[in-house]
Amino acid sequence: MKYLLLAVGDERPWAEAGPQERHALYAEWGRFEAMLAERRAHHGGFELAPSPTATTVRKHGGQVLITDGPYAETVEQISGYVVVEAASMEEAVELAGQMPSDVHVREIAG
Amino acid sequence: MKYALLLYSATGAWAEASEQEQAAIMAEHEKFTALLVERGALVGGEALHGPEQGVTLRRSGGDALRTDGPFAETVEHLGGFYIVEAADLDAAIELARACPEEIVEVRPVVESSG
Repeated sequence: MKYLLLAVGDERPWAEAGPQERHALYAEWGRFEAMLAERRAHHGGFELAPSPTATTVRKHGGQVLITDGPYAETVEQISGYVVVEAASMEEAVELAGQMPSDVHVREIAG
Repeated sequence: MKYALLLYSATGAWAEASEQEQAAIMAEHEKFTALLVERGALVGGEALHGPEQGVTLRRSGGDALRTDGPFAETVEHLGGFYIVEAADLDAAIELARACPEEIVEVRPVVESSG
């Protein structure tokens, strides 16, 4: 089965990180993705630009409302995702436990 | 440029829909997917099972705190996403308008990192 590992959390530490900290964190992500590849569990993923770059499109009763900013103006925002193959939710959570960020795990339909 | 279209829908909206309604929603997404393919704009996408089965791990010190259930206390939850190729933000917004979901958050994808 496939699971979605969403990188979530407060975006401020990343926004405030210097080049060395960013380099170190990218290296951690590189190791995490290499581990997934080695387990043949990696099904791709992307880093997303920070939430202030978001645009939200809402449709209601024939009207379309376009606003700047993310859907939810919360401290914790989605900053990227990885799709993984795992036998169960518990295995997906085990993989998620090695991800270098806070993470929300969801089962993929179909 | 690649953009993520994050789709938000009310919790239970899918589960409470009749089989006919579900088939209609699926058909609309198939039409939208066909539109993306026709334009060479489809990069990827996934539909998700309900948020009540989600698991969140938050790190604090060396420990990971596990929470079962939805990630955020919002009315709508992430129900799926598309990754699309678009010339610019306006083109991505146009695709979001064509997407058969009431709430679509458009976010640029970071294409070079490290």
